[in-house]
Amino acid sequence: MANTQVDQNQVLPEYGPVTPADIRRAAWRHNLTLQWSWNYERMQALGFMWSILPILQRISRTKEELIANMQRHMNFYNTNPAVGSPIIFGAACALEEKGQGEVADSLKIALMGPFAGIGDTIQAILLRPIVAVLAASLAMEGSWAGPLIMFLFGLAWFALKFPQVTWGYKQGVNLVTTVAGGALDKVTEAATIMGLIVVGGFIPSIMARVTTPIKYVREVTVDGQLTEKVVELQPALDSILPYMIPIVIVGFAYWLLKARRQSPIKALLWLTVLAFACSYLGIL
Amino acid sequence: MTYGIGIALLLGIIAYVAVVMNLGASCFWHEALIVGAVTGLIVGNVELGLMIGATLTLMSLGMWTYGGATIPDFMTGAILGTAFGALPGVGVEGGLAIAVPAALLMTQLDVLGRAITTLFIHGADKAVAEGNVRAVTWWHLLGQLPWGLTRFFPVFLAIWLGAEPVQNFINWMPEHIMKAMRVTGAVLPALGFALLLTMMPLKKYWPFALLGYILFAYLNVPMIGIALTAVAVGILYINLKEVRARG
Repeated sequence: MANTQVDQNQVLPEYGPVTPADIRRAAWRHNLTLQWSWNYERMQALGFMWSILPILQRISRTKEELIANMQRHMNFYNTNPAVGSPIIFGAACALEEKGQGEVADSLKIALMGPFAGIGDTIQAILLRPIVAVLAASLAMEGSWAGPLIMFLFGLAWFALKFPQVTWGYKQGVNLVTTVAGGALDKVTEAATIMGLIVVGGFIPSIMARVTTPIKYVREVTVDGQLTEKVVELQPALDSILPYMIPIVIVGFAYWLLKARRQSPIKALLWLTVLAFACSYLGIL
Repeated sequence: MTYGIGIALLLGIIAYVAVVMNLGASCFWHEALIVGAVTGLIVGNVELGLMIGATLTLMSLGMWTYGGATIPDFMTGAILGTAFGALPGVGVEGGLAIAVPAALLMTQLDVLGRAITTLFIHGADKAVAEGNVRAVTWWHLLGQLPWGLTRFFPVFLAIWLGAEPVQNFINWMPEHIMKAMRVTGAVLPALGFALLLTMMPLKKYWPFALLGYILFAYLNVPMIGIALTAVAVGILYINLKEVRARG
């Protein structure tokens, strides 16, 4: 830590070495409540931050440090909560414990996209349909075993989150201990690059639903006959730049925050007003 | 014939718990099959609950909340379908005829619940800036309220009041407000992404974000493929940088 000369009175009571009990507590928080505060803006961010909070409290000597550490984890985060997020969470716990918060931040951004892809595929295409078809066919025959089997599978699925946290934690520790100081900068830079590539793909994929219904009718003469032709705007936009509207909106929000120095809450209001206006005018 | 307030409360609570379970431990507790069976037990017709729940679960195969998308709420549909289906003269078909439109209509309230929780994260931002750990904890834990209550109230009111007032309310709600809420829900992730980008060294590394966009938008590479490309590019970049540093 940069500031070693701290008045003893300012040291927070929770400051100290991370214990296995802290990790267990964090894992329970993550596995039970990750998405309780899920919201459109930053999705699982607050859930992740609150879950890792016991670790942040241990590593933060002063209140100022704790605030800075908490703020780092309030950024956008979203991935599959059952397969993937526990691994990321375990690794982030290890990195925070070893004072590598920036690596933890980059790792979260770099891994959330791919783990969402892998986790959602396993859960939505493999596990759930198989269990659902089996359970539903039993239930159709009037058997209680149907819902029971489904619930037991769900319970096992929940229990599997804990070994994932442990595995992620071990990987996180390995990353710190086996990689020497200078190399860690490289990992951070590589993770930043990976994160940006993933975010670049994430923006159009998550906001793909934002399209315009605008179309106009043009009268054209075909073979001497006057006919009406409906021209839609969205395909025209797509041929210029795919996902143009999501990019413009993200650009607008970025401009509000960065250039206009608006607070997130003001940016939220602007976006809401914009969405309502565009919806009312038939633009979106 | 309708149900008393006790049954209405109980079913409302089941809907609340189911949606909150889905946000955390899951255990498939929100699956139509399971809530259908439990509702059947409460209204005294387990077989009907199993039938309606199983039908709805099969209908929802392949539906998934990718990236936080809203999908039909078959959980709420199963509760309402089973409860109304168990009334005399309604049956499985009648129950399903209520369950499916209810599941579709609930998507509006899902959007509303997810949007209201956005206010909670701004409350949490404030608490974090003050270093108030207790307040942050409450903002997170109470984040379940908009989610749970947007299920509790429709189920409670529908079961308590019966089908007719529900129909009237739906007809009264103007379509353009529901549409505006859908649009807002689709637009708001932009703020999350913008916040994230302000934290990243975009000025120095922006071509990498562009690369990710090209992969998805022009080459239709799925997210896992983009992630693998990211790994390759990240490692290559570091290696080439080292080579250049050595001269």
